[in-house]
Amino acid sequence: MGTIRDNWRVILLALVLCASLFALFSPTVGGNDTDTPGLASAGVTNLQYGLQLSGGTRIRAPLVGVTAEGVEFDGTEPPQIERDVAAGLDNATVADVIVREESQTGGTVEVTTDGVTPAQLGTALDAAGYSYEATRGGVTEATRSQTVDVLSNKINEAGLSGGTVQQITTPTGENFVLVEVPDENRQEVVDLVNERGSVRVDAYYATDDGAYEQTTVLERDDFQSIGTAEQGGEGQQPRVPVVVREDVAPTFQEEMIRSGVAQPGGSQCRYSMSPNNTDPCLLLVVDGEVVNSFGMSPGLARGMQSGDWAQDPRFVLQTQNFSGAQDVAINLRAGALPAALDIGPDGAGTSSYIAPGQGQRFRTDSLITGVIAVFAVAGVVFLRYGEVEVAVPMIVTALSEVVILLGFAAGIGYPLDLSVIAGFIAVIGTGVDDLIIIADEVMAQGDVNSRRVFQSRFRKAFWVIGAAAATTIIAMSPLAVLSLGDLQGFAIFTILGVIVGVLLTRPAYGDILRALLTR
Amino acid sequence: MVAFEVPEIDYTRYTNRQLAAVPLVILAVALLIVGGWYVATGAPVDPGVDFTGGAELRVAVDAPDGQARERIQQTFDPAPESIRSVPSDDTYILTFQTDETGVSALETQARDAGFEVQSSYTVSASFGSRTQGLALGGVAFAFLGMSVLVFLMFRTFVPSIAVVVSAFSDIVVPVALMNLLGIELTLGTVAALLMLIGYSVDSDILLNNHILRRSGGFYESTHRAMRTGVTMTLTSLSAMIVMTLVATMFGIQLLAAIGTVLVFGLATDLINTYMLNLSLLRWYKYEGVAN
Repeated sequence: MGTIRDNWRVILLALVLCASLFALFSPTVGGNDTDTPGLASAGVTNLQYGLQLSGGTRIRAPLVGVTAEGVEFDGTEPPQIERDVAAGLDNATVADVIVREESQTGGTVEVTTDGVTPAQLGTALDAAGYSYEATRGGVTEATRSQTVDVLSNKINEAGLSGGTVQQITTPTGENFVLVEVPDENRQEVVDLVNERGSVRVDAYYATDDGAYEQTTVLERDDFQSIGTAEQGGEGQQPRVPVVVREDVAPTFQEEMIRSGVAQPGGSQCRYSMSPNNTDPCLLLVVDGEVVNSFGMSPGLARGMQSGDWAQDPRFVLQTQNFSGAQDVAINLRAGALPAALDIGPDGAGTSSYIAPGQGQRFRTDSLITGVIAVFAVAGVVFLRYGEVEVAVPMIVTALSEVVILLGFAAGIGYPLDLSVIAGFIAVIGTGVDDLIIIADEVMAQGDVNSRRVFQSRFRKAFWVIGAAAATTIIAMSPLAVLSLGDLQGFAIFTILGVIVGVLLTRPAYGDILRALLTR
Repeated sequence: MVAFEVPEIDYTRYTNRQLAAVPLVILAVALLIVGGWYVATGAPVDPGVDFTGGAELRVAVDAPDGQARERIQQTFDPAPESIRSVPSDDTYILTFQTDETGVSALETQARDAGFEVQSSYTVSASFGSRTQGLALGGVAFAFLGMSVLVFLMFRTFVPSIAVVVSAFSDIVVPVALMNLLGIELTLGTVAALLMLIGYSVDSDILLNNHILRRSGGFYESTHRAMRTGVTMTLTSLSAMIVMTLVATMFGIQLLAAIGTVLVFGLATDLINTYMLNLSLLRWYKYEGVAN
């Protein structure tokens, strides 16, 4: 009994070490690796590696946009307000204005395009006769979470497995969207994220007086299902098969007949060659740009004329090339981004890309760096004490702190990055420092022959250790809460290491030393 | 095994003024350098890509060193601000301190020239200046927090201010050295400066604790505190020297930056603790308090 009571600290340390090893190596912990997004799990351990150590692309940027809050709608319907506000702004279209109702009488108005300042939005609202409380940069929470959802969809639809999109809010109140995609080329991700991805189909036809007119006939919500992109057959363009919603199909059919796209015998589109002398066309418009134009086959036109088509409203969207078809399919399925990410030369974000090979190399290289640093510490400790009984437990104790932290990281699935590794090295550094204080204090002034002498010396040593730990925690706390990019992991693990050290490993080292010295 | 002993220094041979003069002169020179830098460039230390905005590319170039640099110079428009070679794997780290040309364009230039892009990193100018504000605020907060904590722990002015002054010097001297050696302020070096606050205070607290709160004569307490404190600092110092060398060889910039600044800081800390802090404590012990 007595031994257990005297050595409870060592026993506790052993238990925690076992738990950490279990978290690190047990296949039952973190077993659903494949489902964990954004991270690569590796090898025999349950450790997960962040982008720096596994390769991939990370983009971190705020959303483009300005918001007016507390706008009084005066009974006007949101679509009308969107048109009114867009009319008052030079470089915004109706699609860039989002009106959200928050109460019976009012809500927010956002403009999500580059180059509109809060002041300009205010002027536009004033001009249109809407009163508002305040305008500011940034978008609303609803827009942010919608953007995050759409981006996640887009990344999944594009087949970028393991990608994650999340919203981060800094303690200073700024909001960022963080996109992480493993193993993918930066440019592909940027392209995917950069596209707003609004897809629509317009009819293009000559009116009675000979002038051409363009009206939107299908939008994303009008589709019931969207097929996968197909390579075109002989002489045909790549395409995305779609099914138009039943309730929209009759209107679309009518519209096709009225505009002449579904004229008897079909239509031949020459929009790209001579837009002023062509049969009626359908235009595929992505982000406001016409990406393709096509007519209608005689067969389909016949179906529309007879009204049979609306019973089975299948349709194809044709594109110039296969990658275009894929983009259209992705954008239609994922939806359009309500607001774009502010990246690019004059944006406000950061992006980084690490080649997978480089990430792997960093992993082994940083491991080697850490091990060599431990050897350096061990060397000095051996040189200084020359006693194996003091030095070996010291190194083992310091290393056990790292094992516990690694187990913790594996247990909660915290991705290891270079900054976390730096944190581990810092922990070994402060850990050994404290163990030196304990050893010197305990062994000072002659032999430790009684428990009481040991206890009082140990307690004295602990005052310094506690004070040093408190200062380290204070010094690191800004980094842990401020989202200063990569350094959060460093600070979190240094602080955790200090806490684990003071509460667990360093007292246990005291017990070990006592057992070895008071025999 | 040969155990090394921390030598016992005969402090009685030096006056407090003599002891304090060395670290104070070093601090004054460091402050001059940092201040001069501020006047000349508008910043106390050259900010790196993290804070100014810009791009960083790591490319593998299949050519001997001399030619590789030349090819890199010819390839990129604008030319990179700095080119660093990584000894372990024939790659080069290029920094572009402008974000006018997007990193995508730079990547394309690299690929067109047949370089393999290992990693790329870009920060926009506005994001960078925001980060800089946060980082400076963080260092200031950490330093203030540490100071308050030290005053709470010792509850007397002179010993507390001794710790705070030497911690201040432990930060300013490495910053001055960074200027002299052309090391830019990055997130890694900011982390190292914060870590220095934690590390450097350890040995000061230890010294104060031994002298103020323990029985025994001043010189005896000092020697005991030094035996422990110097061992601690030397252990950390050796670990950091090794880490810096290895990380530089592998081109792991974050670890190399942390290591370098900590090496400077820990070396400064040896001087500050056992000359500046010690002389202030001796003055306090023999003259400051009325016996």
